[in-house]
Formats: sequence, C-alpha cells, structure tokens
Amino acid sequence: MSKKIFYLMIAALMVVLSACTTTSSPSGEGTTSSTGTEDNNVLTVSLGPDMLTWDIHNHTTTATEAIHVNVFDYLLMRDTDGEIQPHLAKEWKQIDDTTYEFKLTEGVKFHNGDDLTAEDVKFTLERVATDETLKSHGDFDTIKEVKVIDPLTFQIITHEPDPMLISRISRQASGILPKKYIEEKGMDEFLKSPIGSGPYKFKEWKKDSQITLVKNDDYFGKKGEWAEVLFRAIPEDSTRVAELLTDNVNIIANVPPSDWKRINDSDNSEIANGPSNRTYMLFLRTQEGWPTSDVKVRQAIDYAIDDKALVESLLDGGGTPTLTRVNPGNVGFEESLYDTYNYDVDKAKKLLEEAGYKDGLKIELAGPTGRYIKDREVMQLIAGMLEEAGIHTEMNLLQWSSFTELRDQEKFKEGYLIALGSSFFDAGQALDYYGTERSATINGYSNKEIDKLLQEANTSLDPAVRTAKYQEIQKIASVETPIVPLFQVDQFFGVSDGIQYTPRLDELIYIPDVNKK
Amino acid sequence: MWRYFTSRLLQIPIVLLIISLMIFVLVYVAGDPVAMMLPAEATQKEIQTLRIALGFDQPFYIQFWNYITDLVRGDFGESYKYGVSAIGLVLERLPATLELATASMIMAIIIAVPLGIISALKPNGIIDLFATGLSALGKAIPNFWLGIMLILVFAVNLKMMPVSGTGSWKHIILPAITLGTAVSAEITRLVRSNMLEILQQDFIRTARSKGQKKSVIIFRHAFRNSLVPVITITILQMASLVGGSLITEMIFSWPGLGQLIIQAVYDKDLPIIQAAVFVTAVMILLLNLATDVLYRFLDPRIKYS
Repeated sequence: MSKKIFYLMIAALMVVLSACTTTSSPSGEGTTSSTGTEDNNVLTVSLGPDMLTWDIHNHTTTATEAIHVNVFDYLLMRDTDGEIQPHLAKEWKQIDDTTYEFKLTEGVKFHNGDDLTAEDVKFTLERVATDETLKSHGDFDTIKEVKVIDPLTFQIITHEPDPMLISRISRQASGILPKKYIEEKGMDEFLKSPIGSGPYKFKEWKKDSQITLVKNDDYFGKKGEWAEVLFRAIPEDSTRVAELLTDNVNIIANVPPSDWKRINDSDNSEIANGPSNRTYMLFLRTQEGWPTSDVKVRQAIDYAIDDKALVESLLDGGGTPTLTRVNPGNVGFEESLYDTYNYDVDKAKKLLEEAGYKDGLKIELAGPTGRYIKDREVMQLIAGMLEEAGIHTEMNLLQWSSFTELRDQEKFKEGYLIALGSSFFDAGQALDYYGTERSATINGYSNKEIDKLLQEANTSLDPAVRTAKYQEIQKIASVETPIVPLFQVDQFFGVSDGIQYTPRLDELIYIPDVNKK
Repeated sequence: MWRYFTSRLLQIPIVLLIISLMIFVLVYVAGDPVAMMLPAEATQKEIQTLRIALGFDQPFYIQFWNYITDLVRGDFGESYKYGVSAIGLVLERLPATLELATASMIMAIIIAVPLGIISALKPNGIIDLFATGLSALGKAIPNFWLGIMLILVFAVNLKMMPVSGTGSWKHIILPAITLGTAVSAEITRLVRSNMLEILQQDFIRTARSKGQKKSVIIFRHAFRNSLVPVITITILQMASLVGGSLITEMIFSWPGLGQLIIQAVYDKDLPIIQAAVFVTAVMILLLNLATDVLYRFLDPRIKYS
C-alpha cells in the first residue's frame, strides 16, 4: 500500500512540475544569454548593473555612458589613446576668447533618416546648459548659447573664456539629440524609444535585464563588426564571472581581483586590463588644530606608504604608483611625477620627530568599502604601513552612501581615501582641488602661489601656457601634499578568447573598436 | 463576519499611511541624497545647484508636507536616479518578482508536502531522518551562498542550467530553488508535525478499525485535517518570499523588485523605496487578509467577531 502512495506522489509531482514549467516561463520570446555566443554576430557585454536612463544629460555614470556612446555621436571624440579626434564636427576654430566655430560632417543622419544639423546641436547643448535640474548641467554651464550660422555651421559662445570647452564637448553627455524627433514625440516618448546618429540603433530595453542594440548600416563613420549587441544587467560580480566562463557573455567589466586567476586559467577567456584615469589618493586636513595641518606630518604619511607594494600585492601590478593625479593623456601631465613614489620609513619617522611627534601620532582615516577595487584592503595595508612609521591609524570604513555623507558634510577626521577620476582629461579639473575655493569645502588647503597659477591657467586659451602652469602646480603640490596621490588604477575586463578588445582610458565600450579575432 | 472584514479592510490605508511616514522619516534621517546623485568629482556649487533645483534645501516640514500631499494623491514622485515615475518602475518589475515567488512556492510545496507526509508515516525511519536533516539544512543555509553554489555546480560545471537572467523556463529553476529552500524546510516540518499529531487522534483510529483503505485515511482524513495550519503558513511565507527575494534576484540578475530596491536604498532614492515598500506592504496586508478568509473557509468552526 505504501508503495502505491509513493507512486501516486511521484505521478502528482510530475504533473505539477510540468504545469510549473509551462506557467513559469515568461511571456517574452526570450533571447537572453543562450544566444550570446552561439551566433557569432552577436556581442554580449555586461558592465554590472543596468543603465539608468536614455536621457544623456541626466545621469553621471560611466556604465550608462558606455552604452549611450554607441547610439549618440559626440561632436569630437577621443580615440583609444585619449587623443581628441574630429567626429560629428569635422573642423573647428576659435573666433575670439568666448567663441568657437564648428563645421559638421555632411550627410550624417539620425536613425530615422532625418539629417543631423546645427539646429540639433543648438537644441542639445542649450538644453543641458540651461536646465539646472539635469545632472550634467554643472559640466556645461559655461556655455551661454549656440548660434546657428548655416545648417552645417555653428558657434558655441561661452560666458567667459573657457579653455576646457573642447574637452567639455568630447566627453560624457556630449551626444547630440534629434531636435525634430523630440519636439514631435515629446521627451517621454524619446526616452522609451531613443534615436541618435551613432553606430548602433536602439532596439529594446528590458529593465534590469538587457538592452539590445542593432547595427546602423548607414553609419557615416567606422561601422561595428557585430550585427547585434546585448548589454546585460548582471550586478553580482560572481554571477558576471560565471556568465563569462560559460560563454554566455563576451565582455564583462569590473572583474573582482579574486577572480582574475580563475579567468586567466580558464580555456575560454582572459583578463584585459589597461589604465583608467582614476587615481587612489588620501585627502588630508590642513586646517589648524589637526596634526596633518603640519606639512611634515603630511610628508611623513607620504613617505610611510609604499605605493608600489599596494599595487603589486593587492592589484597584481594593475596600477602605476604616482605623485600626481594628472595622468598621461591629460592636458598638463607632468611626467617627472608619474610612475614614481616616495617611500622611506626612516625619513617618515624623522619628519614625525621634527613635527614634534617623537612618541608617535594617532590619526583617523575614513574610506569607502566596496566602491573601488580593493578599497578596504588598500586602507588596511596603509594603516599597517603607517603604524610601522609610528602613526597609529584608526580606520573608519563606510558603505558608499555613508561615506559620501561624511565627506559632503566634512565630518571626517584627519583624512580619507578616495579614488577620483577626471573625465575632462584636463588638469584644470583635477588640480581645482588644490585651489583655496574648492579646498575650503574639502581639506582647507590654501596656497597663494597655486591659486595664482590656477587662475592664470584657467583663463589662458594657450595650451602651452596652461600646461606649463599646471605642471608647476603639481610640483608644488607634490611637496606640500595636502593630497597624497597613491597610484593610478587599471580597469579590469574579462574578455572571451575570440574577441579583440583594448580598454579605453575613458572606460567607455565603443563597439566599433571591439573586433573579432 | 462581514463587519470583521470591513474593519480589517479599513485598517489597511491607516497601516499604509503609518508605514509611509516611517519611511520618509527614516530616509530623511539617513541624509541628503543629492551628493549621491552626482559623481564624487562634483563641486559643492554643483551639489548646491541641484539641491535647490530638486527642493532639498527646503526645511523638513515643507518637504514633509509636499510629500504627504503628493502621497495622498497617489503620486510617489519621480525617482531621483532614473528620473521617471517611481511607482511605474516598481510596477514594471513586480510581475518578475511575483513570478519568481510563485515558482519558488510551487517548488517548495512539491518537495515539502510529500516529504512531510512520508516522514510522518514512519517517524524516525530513514526518510524521516533524511527529511529532518534536510529541513534543518534548508533553514540554515543562507540563500546567497546556496545561489552561488547552485550556479557553480549546475551552470558553470555541469552546464545544465543558464547562469542568470530570464528568457526560458530553465532560467527560473535555480533562483526558485534558492528562494524556495527555506520555505520548503519550514513546510516540511509543519506537515510532518501536524500529520503526526492527527494520526494519533481518535477519529483516525476509528477509521482504521473500520477497515478503511490506508490511502483514504491518509489523504481524506489525516492530510485534509492537517491542511489548515499548512495553508496559513504557506500564504504567510508567500508574503515573505515577495519581500525577501532581494538577494536571490541580485545573484541571478532576475529583473524584479530586488535589484531596484537594493540600489534605491544605496542611493537614498526615496520615491522608489517608498513606492516599493508601499506595494510590498499592500501585498502582505492582502495576503494576511486572504489567510484569514481561507482559514474560515477551510475550518467552519473558526468564528470572527
């Protein structure tokens, strides 16, 4: 009898299971992972979480921009080496201190067939320059207006001389929007089915799942090799790695260091790393009352930390020790401060002694966890190194939103660790942090000489003059160390064997540059 | 009876209002979200400009008043991060979460009910010991670990299942097992203990002595009578599945509420948190109510006053 019951249950189980499998399959046609590499004309990429929006002006994340850049064209665009090249704008010249004139490439069309004209440029740039609620507004508010000369010629007029204008329009949020389409359909409709002029066209966005782009066969520039590109949202690191190892995804971003070996040892993929424009650094307080207000204490901290050891032991060599946060490929780069570092524990001890801390010093450093590669471990190692030099360090490790608040409200103690990028690729943005005005809300550093040099560099339109001034600022800052640059960090991608991909300095994934081997 | 249910229904808006107010206060205390919306490189001036543009410079009582008046009109506002209607974002992702929760529950029941019954028929037998051990494990294993292990074994090594995402019926199996395991353990133990208790009762002995078939005794008499508490727990567990699928959804890149809520909490995106908690709360309240109704339906002896 009991056997009968058992069989009955098995039968019931089968029935329910089969019912379950038919009801639980989603209604969508379902293309996701399985098609990833079966069809070698489809490229599947995962950058981590889903993109935020199709509004190019209302986000500030590289992962979102990395998708946008394939659908919308910039006026000027950096190549893989970070050099600015003509793109939508084929030539440009400066008319006066506040005016630049640009000529558009002929024959560029939006994905719906409309011509891309100067009117579209005016619409796009004036939108972000005037609407304060847009998150990219702050990067474009130097623009006063865009004057249309003829359908292919326009002038950008700035409020004041803006030496960074060219960098400004060749970076994040610089895509050109279709004026006519947006005015006819409305912004909401545009965000649901966006069109641009880029190498790929929007096809579908399944939120928190995947975005599908298809090749634009009429593209005016270099066309992509892939007929279709899928950007999949896979926020969990280990899952992303598993998808790469099972050939469901071809390129994954932000591979955690613990998985590098596993990927390199696998027979289908490898790690591709290359420099990013992000630098790990310690911001130290310089206001009276803090021990770090004494330059010798700051220097002691600099000398106590072995930047090279941080890079070698934690990042497998995936970074470059540095004494400046202006990296190669940026306007104003100072070569003598790059790929070098200060490390001398005896000197650090001596500096401490001179500063009056012979018996040791106690400080507290804050730092984010889970935001940057190995951020927590970097902090722990730094604390150990400082201890060796006689600086006892309390660590205040916080989740990113708490850290942001601590930093924003200046509640940190002697200093904090952060890894900042510089999306303008211009020292003007990176060195602003040493100016009295900006520092007032950060670490209170003030140096009249730097302020003067900054002022001169930021208003000069001569690149040679600017470069010279910025280089001088970096030399002063590397001695004064209100900020201790540690190392420029690499970006780490996992890439399938059949694919040729070199990471770009700006961390974007421009599909026309991703090739089949 | 009707009076009871009407009063229960009337309580719902009040509970929801209290929950909404609590969330507003908690998120407000957690701090200003504007610094989170801009990159770490943003200047204080940029932060301040956006703060004013979005109204975060207003005093607490004005922000609170705006929030309440919008809420009463059913307007949860626009997500700070995505810039679109928060309730729209939540409702868009709800079906995926419900789908996963339902699949997990079905899987849990399929495993738990037979296992519980067999265990009860032969207490301390091999199957019982196995089931007891399994349910202890099921309760104890954290689902983030279980999820990652299932991916490693069934997707990466055996290549039997897809790693993550949606698209085919296969995609739901691993997340459903991950999410359903703890519930399954709970139900197994409940079925077992209820069955054991009922099998000892007089009416079962009477049925046996009447010479009724064993299957009739087990299913018609014993199992049916042990169902009431099982159904209660099942529905209550369903509510916890809907609310508790966050981690499983993250691991399997399941496009449900989980990913949205976790990210919203990190970003202090109040409108999304608010809308998501509101929707989850409504579901839980309704499921609780449904349990009460079913209870009465299954066991007419229960009276509400």
